[in-house]
Amino acid sequence: MAIRALNRRTFLRGMGGVAVALPTLDIMLNAHGDALAGGGTLSSHFFIGFHGQALGGDGDPQTDLYRPDAFGPDYDLKLATMPLANYGDVRPDVSIVSNLRIPYNNSGPGSWNTGFHLGAFPPLLCGVSNPDDSSYCRGQTADQVVAAAIGAGTTFDSLQYQVQPSWYLTDSAPYGRDIMSYRSDGMGGVMPVPGQTSPRAAYMALFTGFVPPDPGDAAELSRELARRRSVLDLVRGNIERLMPRLGAADQTRMQRHFDEIRALEQRLAAIPPDATADCMMFADPGGDPPIGGNNSSNGGDGFDVDAGYSDEDARARVFSDLVHMAFTCDLSRSVAMLYTMAQSHMNVNSFTNIPYDQHEVGHSVASTAAVSQILAWQLDQFAYLVAKLRDTPEGTGSVLDNSALVLLYEAGHGLDPATGDENRTHSTENMIVTVAGRAGGFVSGEHIDGQGMHPVHVINSAMRAVGVDADLGEVVGTIPGLI
Amino acid sequence: MLALMLAGPGCYQGGSGSGGDGDTEGGTAGEGTADATGGVPEAPEIGGVGMIGMRRLSADEYDNTLFDLLGDDTRPGGALLPEDVVDPYDNQIANQLASRTLIEALEQLATEATGRLMADSARRDQVVGCQPAGMVDEACLSSFAASFGRRALRRPLGADEVQRWVDLGVQYATEENDFYAGVGVMVRALLQDPEFVYRVEIGTPTDEPGVSRLSDFEVATRLSYLVWGTTPDDALLDRAEAGELAIPEDVRAAALEMLDDPRALDRIDRFHSMWLGYYRLPHSAELNDAMRTETRMLLEKTIVEERADWRSLFVATGTFVDDFLAQHYGLASPGSDAFTWTEYGDSGRGGLLSHGSFLSVAGKFGDTSPTQRGQLIRKRLFCQEIPPPPPSVNVDEPPPEVQSPCKIDRYNMTEIEGCAQCHQLLDPVGFGLENYDQQGRFRTTDNDLPQCVIEGEGAIEGSTFSGPAGLSDLLLEQGLLDSCIVSQIYVFAMGHEIAVDDERYVEDLVDSFAANDYRFDELVINLVGDEAFLYRREEEV
Repeated sequence: MAIRALNRRTFLRGMGGVAVALPTLDIMLNAHGDALAGGGTLSSHFFIGFHGQALGGDGDPQTDLYRPDAFGPDYDLKLATMPLANYGDVRPDVSIVSNLRIPYNNSGPGSWNTGFHLGAFPPLLCGVSNPDDSSYCRGQTADQVVAAAIGAGTTFDSLQYQVQPSWYLTDSAPYGRDIMSYRSDGMGGVMPVPGQTSPRAAYMALFTGFVPPDPGDAAELSRELARRRSVLDLVRGNIERLMPRLGAADQTRMQRHFDEIRALEQRLAAIPPDATADCMMFADPGGDPPIGGNNSSNGGDGFDVDAGYSDEDARARVFSDLVHMAFTCDLSRSVAMLYTMAQSHMNVNSFTNIPYDQHEVGHSVASTAAVSQILAWQLDQFAYLVAKLRDTPEGTGSVLDNSALVLLYEAGHGLDPATGDENRTHSTENMIVTVAGRAGGFVSGEHIDGQGMHPVHVINSAMRAVGVDADLGEVVGTIPGLI
Repeated sequence: MLALMLAGPGCYQGGSGSGGDGDTEGGTAGEGTADATGGVPEAPEIGGVGMIGMRRLSADEYDNTLFDLLGDDTRPGGALLPEDVVDPYDNQIANQLASRTLIEALEQLATEATGRLMADSARRDQVVGCQPAGMVDEACLSSFAASFGRRALRRPLGADEVQRWVDLGVQYATEENDFYAGVGVMVRALLQDPEFVYRVEIGTPTDEPGVSRLSDFEVATRLSYLVWGTTPDDALLDRAEAGELAIPEDVRAAALEMLDDPRALDRIDRFHSMWLGYYRLPHSAELNDAMRTETRMLLEKTIVEERADWRSLFVATGTFVDDFLAQHYGLASPGSDAFTWTEYGDSGRGGLLSHGSFLSVAGKFGDTSPTQRGQLIRKRLFCQEIPPPPPSVNVDEPPPEVQSPCKIDRYNMTEIEGCAQCHQLLDPVGFGLENYDQQGRFRTTDNDLPQCVIEGEGAIEGSTFSGPAGLSDLLLEQGLLDSCIVSQIYVFAMGHEIAVDDERYVEDLVDSFAANDYRFDELVINLVGDEAFLYRREEEV
């Protein structure tokens, strides 16, 4: 079957398809199953997730219910981390790096200075110091650095998914708190890359061109692909005709639109992987859950307990399933997933029975135990993804063995440098980054002392793990003992 | 001043009236070119031409447009398009960014809308406009391309363009032996065309560098998306094609008719809801709908039916409620499930600021927030810039716990914590509305705290007030509301903040608003009837 698949690819290539990376088939591996028969190693996969989340409640001296008591393997689980025991116990696959901090007052590489939610977010994502309260990165983010280094030949050099689809407040706007990916704009700067908020659209995009087993369905799919190509071809031509007539600013806007159309055309031209036992199009997840409304009541009297929630729980599952297949099929080697926005105003009632938004639980409920209920939901989502990758064979091991996953939190718990108060959510002290996977000697299953280093040192370590010898922004080096 | 503007149009005699948007390759000879006017158009002498770029349809505009083009009422845009930044309007150029998410959404939306159209033969036939004589009826495809293309792209298509669309249709009608397979791919492509997705304005360069005179079709599009929030209909495109949008008087006449269309009320409602932040409400669907209906009906009565002084919205002596909403507010029930005008009497309420819609905005910490309300009022009703809090202040923290549980005592604490700079500016405003909870119900004490009696006294700009009616009186006395609403609608209309180039235009609008008894319909008409509405200034890069 594998041979037939290869022949089909050769045939399609002759028809004008573009060769892309293949899912790893046994026939392609060496006798040990840990490298490609033709030389080279198995492709690695990089995942970075983010939650707009602190580790405690304002004023609560309980620093966190997350950090294990002792460093090393077999770490203990607490209220926030209990879900790591789910899915057959992913603890051996997950490491917790604690004792991290982002410096402030312009006092070091990747520091922040003012306006916590806006100001501290960019240095976390891109390692470049932020002198003001702009929430936009001044450097590339890890997903883009990795994509540029190892994404060539894949259908999606990187994927950006966004679980929380709405800002949920009507009297303010996110302004960058909804963006976790920045790529080079080709002119010395960077530009934001918004995430896909629709699981259904992401599903359709990822599985574009996957050939259904039924010959009739396959023929219809082939016709549909032809239609899409024709439509985009005409649209692209119209943009090309329009472009010279536009002013300079509009040309820049339209060029970006054009570039995305071209990228879509290239994805349509890519030859999809053939289904294997592991790489397959899963069942259509159906329509997206409706987007929840205004959440500015923050749990007040008469508050609609469903306001400000778009079933992020279900949305995250679908996106996780897509990441799983993106890696398994080698459709992409780099994924950024914004689970919740910085300063997230998502309503957490449905999974915590706390009728508040995520941000206000830290400030108003002000209890580390309450916050940890949210953290537990978040770690359950992460554990679900880790387990899927763990349970999918690749070579002699699993997809997880060739992956490095990073889960970032917006804040730690401790000193708020703006006010001088201790035990605050607006703190980049006592931060934790949780990681998973074993690519390139990434260490899993341990609680590791971050020794006061920057969270970006963890990101750098994960990039090294997938073979990308780069540092993010101003933060140089890795976490000792993590790789 | 208004007369001056009306005297102005002689400077341009409308070559674009012959049709086209300057589409040089479109095939209709000479359309929209400078030559057809007998020379380079002059820029308006009175200035006021602001910089503007192409604007992408907001999700709301996309859904409205899809309905008008295809009769598709599913409003699918909001679920797939990247969420529009609403601050306070959803259509600001600076916040629009092309992305993979956008491109994927546009493709999927077009594909699915076409699928729904093809599944509904009556709707499909209406859109196509001709009955095919065979599987590959090129004449029918051609007539469809010309008529639907004109509506979708908001300008007539040149012969070459029509042929490109027809070629696509013929290819698929032939390959799939199905006329409507051809139509389908054409619809899909048109719904992804850059000139559908964006409101592209090019126009003709004038004698002033960087300033271009819009084509009549571009004017029609500006007009339509402002007044209706959707694409121009055939009648409006016909006006453009006939050269009947070439001078401000013509645009005014068109706008006057357009304001009678129900879509104008939708747009007025949406503008006000974004301006004051109640476009989405946090309560049960039933209560949200009731509150939105109440405010919409007051807007309709004041602006559309009575064409009264817009400011009277804020001093209305009654409101529209049904039994459900009246009971919610504690007002006398009208005895009907229909929204019925009910006088406020001595309830202490008055005007739009007494509505649950407005009073629902800007809550925090599970209750009303005097600070947030104060900020909303100063920013949106007084159009004031609020200075940012000092860096040492954490604005996310609730007021400190003090010995008194009462809100006013806790907020007073902020004065001794270095937070006074902002709180003294904001809290006294918000405390004037404290007798109204976040669902717009009257209360005399803090929620669940009978010992905390609410005085409901507020102060702003050196004057004191009590309750929403008192605030409204003060707003009108201070005379700031009218210039504020003018600048707000200008930002909404143009999709960008007011810059130096826009100032003449805005100042004249403020004057004409007063000169026309503060009628909102006149404000809209004077906005589109200013000569500068027919021009654009190239953005600086």
